[in-house]
Amino acid sequence: MSKRIGIVLNNVPAYSETFFHNKISGLLARGFDVTLFAEKNGNEVPQGWKVVSPRSLPGSMWLRSVYLGAAIIKLLATTSKTVFRFYKLERAAGRSNRTAIENLYINAHILSCKLDWIHYGFATVALRREHVAKAISAKMAVSFRGYDVGIYALKHPGCYRLVWENVDKVHTISDDLLVKAYKLGLPTDIPIVKITPAINANDFIVKPAEQNDHTINILTIARLSWKKGIQYALQAVMELKDKGLQVRYTIIGDGEDKEKLLFAAYQLGLTDNVVFEGRVKSNQVPEYFKRHQIYLQPSVQEGFCNAVLEAQAGNMLCIVTDAEGLQENVLHNKTGWVVKRRDVKAMATTIADVAGMDNAIKEEIRRNARTRVQQEFTLEKQITAFEEFYND
Amino acid sequence: MTRKIAVYSGDIPSTTFIERLIQGLAEEGNTIYLFGKQKKDVNYPANVKVIAYSSNTSKLYLLAKYYLLLLLSRPKDLKQLKAICREKYNDRYFHALSTYIPVLYYRPDIFHIQWAKAIADWIWLKEFNKKIVVSLRGAHINYSPITIPGLADIYRKYFPLADGFHAVSNAIGYEAEKYGAHSIKTVYSGLNLENFPFKTKTGIAEGKIKILSIGRWHWKKGYDYAIDAMRLLSDQNFDFHYTIIGGAATEEAIFSRDDMGLNDKITFVGSVPHNELKEYMYDADIFLLPSVEEGIANVVLEAMAYGTIVITTDCGGMAEAVQDKKNGFIIPMRSSEAIAGKITEVAALDKEQLNTVAIAARKTIEDRFVSERMAGDMTKLYESVLER
Repeated sequence: MSKRIGIVLNNVPAYSETFFHNKISGLLARGFDVTLFAEKNGNEVPQGWKVVSPRSLPGSMWLRSVYLGAAIIKLLATTSKTVFRFYKLERAAGRSNRTAIENLYINAHILSCKLDWIHYGFATVALRREHVAKAISAKMAVSFRGYDVGIYALKHPGCYRLVWENVDKVHTISDDLLVKAYKLGLPTDIPIVKITPAINANDFIVKPAEQNDHTINILTIARLSWKKGIQYALQAVMELKDKGLQVRYTIIGDGEDKEKLLFAAYQLGLTDNVVFEGRVKSNQVPEYFKRHQIYLQPSVQEGFCNAVLEAQAGNMLCIVTDAEGLQENVLHNKTGWVVKRRDVKAMATTIADVAGMDNAIKEEIRRNARTRVQQEFTLEKQITAFEEFYND
Repeated sequence: MTRKIAVYSGDIPSTTFIERLIQGLAEEGNTIYLFGKQKKDVNYPANVKVIAYSSNTSKLYLLAKYYLLLLLSRPKDLKQLKAICREKYNDRYFHALSTYIPVLYYRPDIFHIQWAKAIADWIWLKEFNKKIVVSLRGAHINYSPITIPGLADIYRKYFPLADGFHAVSNAIGYEAEKYGAHSIKTVYSGLNLENFPFKTKTGIAEGKIKILSIGRWHWKKGYDYAIDAMRLLSDQNFDFHYTIIGGAATEEAIFSRDDMGLNDKITFVGSVPHNELKEYMYDADIFLLPSVEEGIANVVLEAMAYGTIVITTDCGGMAEAVQDKKNGFIIPMRSSEAIAGKITEVAALDKEQLNTVAIAARKTIEDRFVSERMAGDMTKLYESVLER
């Protein structure tokens, strides 16, 4: 019988969230019985996907009690054993009666299913669901994202205690995130599997256009958010300009920091050097790869970064910071260059150095990067790794 | 004859400095009109008239009342305003009418727009020969026209039609001239010195240097540069503690502090009542303003009044209040190296040198940044506009 996998996310992933799309479609293609537990938020549900949504709790206390009561009676009628087991586990872990019952309600849609694995796509979605797997006699898996271990846990110390106590297997996208998770108390005896994001490299392979002038053309594809460290990149561009180099910096993406970054570019005197392209469709990205030589990922926080994989496939010379998984994504001096995050001088110097390198060296780095992405970060490999993850 | 001045920000009460202006202008003998939405109870002198709504119902009541009053007293004016609203605000006709009718009824001599972005909404007053004065403050002039598409064009179209401009600093006045602002008078914001008693420092503490910043978490405050600077100081084994009072800290701040290993060297404090703020100011060795955009930062003026040594970027009009090494210290914007460098420089000064700076800073405030002066200067601006 095919393995039954439940994947839990907050929302049905948008099409641009390639990681989950590839994973779910890939597992389905290999015969797994996959159920996605997530809110339907208007994102399109691909054909063949099975999606089960939770019921939200109403705001008013009175209605809340009625909803809770009704849901629990229904659950009791169908799977009373599961309900008791879940409730006992919650209570034994020190949760109040009320919290236990609320958690019962918010997990009702999962508790009534029969599964072999419950896989939480983020550590934060596992919160308040730590006992679901045990209650339905499934195994519990958790994936880490940069936000889970890098940001959320800082604001909520100790939040993963029950996750650590109950998880059977952990998936990480980078070694760096794992180091952070251990610092947060993840027990060292829990099996870990590293499965990096993957891309279809062929979609991005282009030949760089011949360059006739001395302009250094730099490209970044990132959400305009503080995590991406774009302000540091702008400062680096200013340093290059001050050194008398001709620089053109294209930034693809949109986000909450747009105002800040537009003003920074203006104030740093870069209006003629920096272009904010806004959002660009992913099938247009290779055109940008053709027109630029250097891809820069200036992030301060970054789980792994698909954009950098795509840039490597697209024959770009990649300069990235050492933020979290980026230094595993790009190997320093082999498939690109890694600089210290938040270090404007290092960024500027490396850009200038790379631009001035021999064509032979550039070609070698490009080839290494492309080949590594084509061999190591394939969708096939990723799905096979997940297959083993669940079959082991 | 007393002048009728509408001080318009849209909100009643408004920000601290606009409230201070209202009080000051009332004391100068002007009749002040406040239009807009009332958000809290207010207590003004008798010559401040509040014509405000607090809900949709009261807004409807205002519309009905002043519609009727205008219809009875000046039906021609009413007809003209309706025509203007119909032409300009087809889709928001009633909204516009209900906002404008009370203003037209009272016909203030000067309509003083506090937030420049609102200028397009009030330019119709020119058709009734009323004078428009526009305040040039912070973001509305310094970055909004750069980051909001089309706003620069609106400014270029309407600024030349206004009768006068109030700039919070010379610097912002120059910036606004790019969009056609003219007849600009700089009126600095003023403090009520009774609330800001000066205290002589016993000198920078031996050992740990206490650095303080106050201001909400917003990118324009440049806290990212300040936190990077603290890392540089920490790398040099410089002994310091940095406190930011700015409300709930952002994810970026919490992450950056941890990422750079500064958790025990930087404290984020939520909002603090005014009387406690004073204690933080007295306790700090250095007040730091790392901003990348300001009209002129009031909080720096306050630090100077209290006697706390100021390090500020030269953004906006800051250099009009602070002279490097005389009454404070100035650094270029967007440079964490400059922030760190200046902090070590100031920390190396002796007590006497610091006291000289602190006393000079207090004198600057007493001479040029007191509230009486603000209201008087503003009244002069109104007079010159009315004479023209």
